[in-house]
Amino acid sequence: MTEKPTEWAEKYRPKNLTEIAGHRTIINDLVSWANKWETGVPKDKALIFYGKPGVGKTSAAYALAYQMEWDVIELNASDQRTAGIIQKVAGSASRMGTFDGTSGRRLIILDEADNLHGNYDRGGARAIISVVKGTSQPVILIANEYYQMDPALRLACKPVQFRTINSTTIVSALKAICKNEGIMVGVGVIETIADSANGDLRSAINDLQAMSIGKHELEVDDIITAPRDVKETVFKLMDHVFKAADMRSAQQAAWQVDESPDNLINWIDENLPIGYKDAHDMAAGYFQLARADLFLGRVRRRQNYGLWRYASLLMTGGVSAVRTHSHSGYNKYQAPQFWRKLGQTRAKRNIRDSLAGKIGGICHVSGAYARTDLIWFFKHLMKSKVHSVGLAAELKLNPDEIAFLMDTKPTTKKVGKIYDEAQQLIKDEIEHDIEVFGGFGKEKTEKMQVNSLLEFNGTKGTGGTEGTDEKDGTEGIDETDVSHTDVDNADSVATEKKNQSSLFDF
Amino acid sequence: MVGQDEIVKRLQSYVKSRNLPHLLFSGPPGVGKTASAIAVAKELFGDTWTNNFTELNASDERGIDVVRNKIKNFARTSPLGEADFKIIFLDEADALTSDAQSALRRTMEKYTSNCRFILSCNYSSKIIDPIQSRCAVYRFGPISLEAIEQRIAHIAKIEGLEVNDEGMEAIKYVSMGDMRKAINALQAAGLLDKKVDMEAIYQITATARPEEIGSLIDLALDGDFIGARTKLDTLLINQGLSGEDIIIQIHRTMFDKSIPDILKVKLMDRIGEIDFRLTEGANERIQLEALLAYFVLAGKGNDS
Repeated sequence: MTEKPTEWAEKYRPKNLTEIAGHRTIINDLVSWANKWETGVPKDKALIFYGKPGVGKTSAAYALAYQMEWDVIELNASDQRTAGIIQKVAGSASRMGTFDGTSGRRLIILDEADNLHGNYDRGGARAIISVVKGTSQPVILIANEYYQMDPALRLACKPVQFRTINSTTIVSALKAICKNEGIMVGVGVIETIADSANGDLRSAINDLQAMSIGKHELEVDDIITAPRDVKETVFKLMDHVFKAADMRSAQQAAWQVDESPDNLINWIDENLPIGYKDAHDMAAGYFQLARADLFLGRVRRRQNYGLWRYASLLMTGGVSAVRTHSHSGYNKYQAPQFWRKLGQTRAKRNIRDSLAGKIGGICHVSGAYARTDLIWFFKHLMKSKVHSVGLAAELKLNPDEIAFLMDTKPTTKKVGKIYDEAQQLIKDEIEHDIEVFGGFGKEKTEKMQVNSLLEFNGTKGTGGTEGTDEKDGTEGIDETDVSHTDVDNADSVATEKKNQSSLFDF
Repeated sequence: MVGQDEIVKRLQSYVKSRNLPHLLFSGPPGVGKTASAIAVAKELFGDTWTNNFTELNASDERGIDVVRNKIKNFARTSPLGEADFKIIFLDEADALTSDAQSALRRTMEKYTSNCRFILSCNYSSKIIDPIQSRCAVYRFGPISLEAIEQRIAHIAKIEGLEVNDEGMEAIKYVSMGDMRKAINALQAAGLLDKKVDMEAIYQITATARPEEIGSLIDLALDGDFIGARTKLDTLLINQGLSGEDIIIQIHRTMFDKSIPDILKVKLMDRIGEIDFRLTEGANERIQLEALLAYFVLAGKGNDS
């Protein structure tokens, strides 16, 4: 063994932005964004990179840092990401200047930002927002699903979409690797791998490595890794189900498809009206599908996976056997749409649900009741100029929620005005409280943190509790940021206190 | 579908070059996923294999904290002895919650100098895309009955067991393409007697002879309810089979019955219904009788 064995996907991870495959426009934008950081703090302090796996999001972030000679601080889903930890790691990194006062930016990368865990990462999203707002260092968030991210977090960052990489680009990247590794490739090998990668460069590199370890010449027959995308094989199965002569061939085709019955039923459901145009066949087909679904429900409820065999049979062989007409000709099958549609409206439903939670909280009813029976009432209240600001303050609504109640976009002036006035109202009341109770102890800070959902600006007078830390925090930051920093520190004091034990887990 | 032979060849060449990509093995139970992972580790690491190989059954330890603590800690510590890296084998990785799978992603990349992951699952569609993107995916097909026969004959020879032809057929029948079941049946029968025959295999695996189930179905479809019920009683009482054993075998046998597809689907649906009721705790004799009565009706062609 002369060389330590490596994973090519890591070995060939691009170091410089120029080595990144594809994404030319994005790279240019990134460079100009980074250059702005060299002279000050630009308007967009944080970016969200989003896109499918293996297209180069993480690589681009690291390459940018490498090229700019920035240090990198990364937090990803393999780390616990509670509010306390995020504040400690990313928060302090985002505020502290460098000691020699010269350049030396620090890039904060929050990978897998769409995967904050509800329980284990409690408060994580809110902490990220406060890092993003208070940062004096560049921040990049990375995610697969843009719309699964907290809406307030999305508002605070500039989105950058990474599209899938076209197969010509993948082909040239793979060829370069083969050349470097001294591997001879036969005709069509690289093209086949690139095609089945569906724009995921990393998986293409992995497939190439999987077939070439211990070999120096490759032929198409050497490709024995299985495709990751099952769509092609599922489409073939659709033809078997809707057209096959007997149910046996439909069933056998189902065994070849690497989809569990609870996924497969969505495909058959989507394409049944495309396959069976005759009303009788369609009704009979759906009857079988409904029976199959019943068995799936029993499996879910009882965790008795033995019953999957009946669900499988009914949704393939059953649907096939009840056909009375032959349906020939080409069918244009499609992937299940229902889940995609749900995904598209997820953001809106999340806003509705968080709103219902807040309304339920002050009205002492369940979120579900608030959603069905009270939201319309609050929509009506929101129309009134007299009540809208007070309502927004009382419920501590964010711009998304205000916009939802007003049936408009969160970026409109009207929403912004109500939001700002509501924030001012909240602030005034807090100051009033301070006067009344004479001081702003730590206990109070904690309480306020629970109360104010997104942010609160300005309130001073918390410094005394945290001497040295505060000094570090404010050093080298221009005047306008000071109040922010104060608040952030107060936040982190409170949350760090709460999460003391978990800090050491990190 | 690629046969296991080619996958094995590929794995052997990984061992020879002492390098391994992250692997995802997908396929039904008992087709060699776990066995392959362990074999790779043994051949790569030799005597120290247990130090550099860890196996986690994801259906027991499926939460995000396991990935963040146990797996991450194992991944970031250096391999022991001569080994260049360690192997983490996540069995039944499709049982990991998708949050836990997400938490695995960067760990797989960051510690590649220390460790490789082998994941196994029944359906690769249950593994999130970002993980699939990081692995070479190998799909294990069901094992052919010939391959099972060869393997069983080989093991029997080493263990000094004598398996006659009928016994071998019985092993193949009870295995349903699952090598683990086949070997378990052989071992259990071999403990009782060095001569392994059909009776021993069926008895040890709580399986009725296929012909008996066949005749049970035929009697009912031919309209002889009393005859079918007598047969059923024999299976339940004399052979001590459970209602669930019988219903699963009825289901299997139906595939080979030459009756119209449309009728077969109706019967299968009803079999599934009875299967469900049995698992819910219903009386097995009454439920199976109800099934047989339905078969009688279906056989007369009066079923609507």
